[in-house]
Amino acid sequence: MLPILSLIVLIPLIFAALTLLTKTKEQARSLALVATVSVLLLTVYMYFNFDSSIADNQFEELVQWVPSLGITYHLGVDGISMPLILLNAIVLPLLVLFTWNDDRKSPNKFYALILATEGAVIGVFTALDFFLFYVFWELTLIPLFFMVSIWGGPNKHHASIKFFIYTHVASLVMLLGIFGLYFAAWENTGTPTLDIPILIAQFQFIESGIAKDMIFLALLFGFIVKIPSFPFHSWLPDAYTEAPTAGSVLFVMLKIGGYGLFKIMLPMLPFTASPNLMITIMAVLGSVSILYGAFLALSQKDLKKMVAYSSVSHMGYVTLGAAGIVSLSVSGAMFQQFSHGLIMSIMFMSCGIINNATGTRIINDLGGLAQKMPKLAVIMVVTFMASLGLPGLSGFIAEVSVLAGAFVSLPAYVIIALLAIVITAAYHLWALQRAMFGVYNEKLGTVADINSYQTISMGIIVILILYFGLNPSPVLDMMLTNSEHITSLMAVMGV
Amino acid sequence: MAVEDFAFLIPLLPALAFVLTFFLGKKLPTGGAIIPIAAIATSFVISLLITLNLLANPEEVVNQSYNWFSMFNIGILVDPLAAVMLTMVSFVSLLIHIYSVGYMSHDKAPSRYFAETALFTASMLGLILSDNILQLFICWELVGVCSYLLIGFWYEKPSAASAAKKAFLTTRVGDVMFLAGIVILFSDLFKIFNGTIPEGVYILRFDEIFTHIPEIAALNANILGMDVSHITIITLLFFGGAVGKSGQFPLHVWLPDAMEGPTTVSALIHAATMVTAGVYLVARTFPMFIAAPDSLMIVAYLGAFTAIFAATMGIVMNDIKRVLAYSTISQLGYMMLGLGVGAAIGAEAVGISIFHLINHAFFKALLFLCAGSVIHAVGTHDMRQLGGVAKVMPITAATMIAASLALAGIGIPGTSIGTSGFFSKDAIIESAYLFGETTGTWIPYALSIAAALLTSLYIFRLLFMTFYGKPRTDYGGHESPASMTIPLSILAVFALVFGGLTSQRFNTFVSETFVNNFVHMDIAELASIGGYHLASHAGHEPILILWMPLIVALAGFLIAFLVYGLKIVNMDSLVSRNNPIYKLLYNRYYQNAIFTNFFSVKVIYEGFAFAGRAIDRGFDWIVKWMSDLTLEAGESLRQFQTGKVQNYATAVITGVSLLVILIKVVMEVL
Repeated sequence: MLPILSLIVLIPLIFAALTLLTKTKEQARSLALVATVSVLLLTVYMYFNFDSSIADNQFEELVQWVPSLGITYHLGVDGISMPLILLNAIVLPLLVLFTWNDDRKSPNKFYALILATEGAVIGVFTALDFFLFYVFWELTLIPLFFMVSIWGGPNKHHASIKFFIYTHVASLVMLLGIFGLYFAAWENTGTPTLDIPILIAQFQFIESGIAKDMIFLALLFGFIVKIPSFPFHSWLPDAYTEAPTAGSVLFVMLKIGGYGLFKIMLPMLPFTASPNLMITIMAVLGSVSILYGAFLALSQKDLKKMVAYSSVSHMGYVTLGAAGIVSLSVSGAMFQQFSHGLIMSIMFMSCGIINNATGTRIINDLGGLAQKMPKLAVIMVVTFMASLGLPGLSGFIAEVSVLAGAFVSLPAYVIIALLAIVITAAYHLWALQRAMFGVYNEKLGTVADINSYQTISMGIIVILILYFGLNPSPVLDMMLTNSEHITSLMAVMGV
Repeated sequence: MAVEDFAFLIPLLPALAFVLTFFLGKKLPTGGAIIPIAAIATSFVISLLITLNLLANPEEVVNQSYNWFSMFNIGILVDPLAAVMLTMVSFVSLLIHIYSVGYMSHDKAPSRYFAETALFTASMLGLILSDNILQLFICWELVGVCSYLLIGFWYEKPSAASAAKKAFLTTRVGDVMFLAGIVILFSDLFKIFNGTIPEGVYILRFDEIFTHIPEIAALNANILGMDVSHITIITLLFFGGAVGKSGQFPLHVWLPDAMEGPTTVSALIHAATMVTAGVYLVARTFPMFIAAPDSLMIVAYLGAFTAIFAATMGIVMNDIKRVLAYSTISQLGYMMLGLGVGAAIGAEAVGISIFHLINHAFFKALLFLCAGSVIHAVGTHDMRQLGGVAKVMPITAATMIAASLALAGIGIPGTSIGTSGFFSKDAIIESAYLFGETTGTWIPYALSIAAALLTSLYIFRLLFMTFYGKPRTDYGGHESPASMTIPLSILAVFALVFGGLTSQRFNTFVSETFVNNFVHMDIAELASIGGYHLASHAGHEPILILWMPLIVALAGFLIAFLVYGLKIVNMDSLVSRNNPIYKLLYNRYYQNAIFTNFFSVKVIYEGFAFAGRAIDRGFDWIVKWMSDLTLEAGESLRQFQTGKVQNYATAVITGVSLLVILIKVVMEVL
């Protein structure tokens, strides 16, 4: 059988190297399109052959690598990772299309970095060995770092270094957690292994309660920073805002923090010494992120920064939903990752378009853009509505599942999240009103509407937001299977 | 196939019309108005046929459910309550769409208008025939966003963009309460099922919810030392949603501003597709309200208060649309009061309240369309610059008089002679009397009588100022085209005779919704859970009570006639413009000032936002301090920061390997 998982990881990485060698924009973008479309086709093939009724890993590939240390080449997908791979596979070709007519320096490096990020992110989602997982995890940092530091805005150096150091430190803490788990399991079983499913299963046999909690917290820290959640979010607004549009979209695709929460944290949670404390930590971080992100988004003057903070707020639903440990809320949190990826891609694309067209992103300096950019206005209104949680669009499915599910176990935190809903609506509508509606600000000069490549790529994502809002089952069913699996484990342990 | 099988088309056709008009409308004459008109006309015919069938066979309720995701479903439910609403909404919306062809003929984007109004209608129809509370909420939100788009239809006007935002945000406050209610309800039901929901059971379906009312009522939460039943919390949160959508105090502030859109949009919002949603929600979940201690009392009090509160502002406004907007708020107050008196009269409350809702839809749509006709011809909303319009626009004036008689509730008690508003409003006021007798609190009744006086006063004031006397300024008005006057005439007929023709039949038909149809609720038993004592019978009020509403309505007419018609009494000499009460009313109780300054953006938002920014800077500072430390330590390693990808990649991998070795060594030593 075709090693599909290896292919979808390696194709982008190999094409990244090839793209680096190209000389012109035309060559670079064509290679990038070929690579991303191939990944999309393979992923779609895999999706249609995926059994969403079982929670196990599928399409597994297992090769021994360094037996003395227990390192294997082990890949696989389950209902947690499949939708996220699908998300990346869908958005990346559209991102290439979106940038099709852009002029920028060194297009070969630009597209190479896009492809490298795709390969690394899919690598994280498919790795079933902690060594591979960590290598891919760190590999995502590098292309993004360069994306910001080469094509970024005025503060690109500050932002890129801050992002790199911040998340790298978090990764190292996570690595400590991995090693703790690795050595503790080694001691118990007598054989070294870095296999993720085995180590998760071994976690419960660690004797010392303190060791278990430390391991859990170290891993949790690594994931929480990547999500990011309050109070470890401050790298995000800088990095997202300074990054070029494509970079911001790639950041949005970087759903590895939430993924770790579902794939690694939740199965371990019931076996920690103090599961209720861990749940409280996650619930506090999640609900505070939702409210805090919303307030900060409201206070922003820069449109892109507002979107960045709204991202913090939305990702709070992921943490809160995971803490809810009811299958509805956990699947809702997984769906939020998927939906948020689609919605935020367009939000950042819109910010980029406005910045290019008018030369500013300050909301009060804009005004009446809808008159000059009617197509963008329609796309933005739909996306902003999706982002503020309008039913019928994908964001609502996630939010209502998280809120209803988590209320069963964590009513107080859900009430905090509910408070944010009006504020969320407020900053979205405020921005739309100031930037897009009202009298056209003549100082902006003449601006052109989005080109046809941009219309197609954003249009497809908008249709997907609508489609998954009306019919979430194609991805939600597999999420539900896995979240039921996780939560049944908790029920057995009486959490 | 029976017509019931096509019930799903009722919201679907207008939704399809939205898509078609949005993409193709520009290429068609009149912005593709024919698409939504044809779609809504079909919806109307289906609704009407289903209603007629239900009238003949009340047990043939339409109910279809399909799995959506997780434990939620999508479904349609057409019982008598939904059927009459569907018929009214599609009918009024159809007339407004036909009228809009003429009204929007000079606009530059009629296709966008017709696309959005089609979606607006589709959402409202979807809301009405939802068979579960989640789907109802979804359509509820879609109604909200359509109103946002339509109020801000002329988005290049800053006042329109701002009014649209205000409408959306104010109703959103209510929506969050509604959502919180759903979330609590879900969690209660989830616990009642012990977390295992059988296949095929959709716990948010109305029949499922109603079955479990006693168990939910038995759950108690302790709030500020008081034991409050969960059913009370849930219903009050639902009511919070209704307060936002249906413009009840204190979330009514968006409604008067909402006229920034085209007048036809105001007609849609005020009559058919938006503000009635809140009343409908309370009616739909009435079995929950009647089992909830205190909830119905709050509904009754707030409704009665809103009725009088808005009416007092209606009498001093000079903008014709603003008077009508306050009138809507006031009439919605009556509808809520009509539901609240269910505490005394049980399920009959649903009948009388929905009856008033439907009659109101006819005459309020008519009032707005007449006002639109005047504005279209004359070009101003300000009644002080109007007068004598009746001479140039006789049809508009005649239909407006019909609508005003219906709003004021003119009719002869004890007979079936009277305008539509007479039958429904009187029924509410009389029930409020009964409510007083049963519960011993007469305040709702007193407020509703006083509001009836003011209602008559403000609407006849409007009539006299606009249509009577000599033109105050020179304007070249003309009667509107037939596409506008025909809908007016049809609505006028309904405003005059619908109530008289259907009064008895309608009330029993709708009141039976929860008793003999889709669900079989024992309303008396539920009322005992809620602690309400239902009156044994109605219709034995003293003769004075029966005549009271008519007497006050005539008194209101007389005052308006003397002051604004004959001008025998000079208002200026009676009440100075500096009179504090006048100023209070004219400035709308300073509510805008209170809302913007007190609950203000500045105090709450900016405060939090400032704190947030400060905290963020604090975090940044800590991180920077830590990274500076690291950087200083690594100063000697600076030469490696060459900016080449390869070097960084090597560094990361080397770093990882080093760390592996390091930890291995540490572990060995330990």
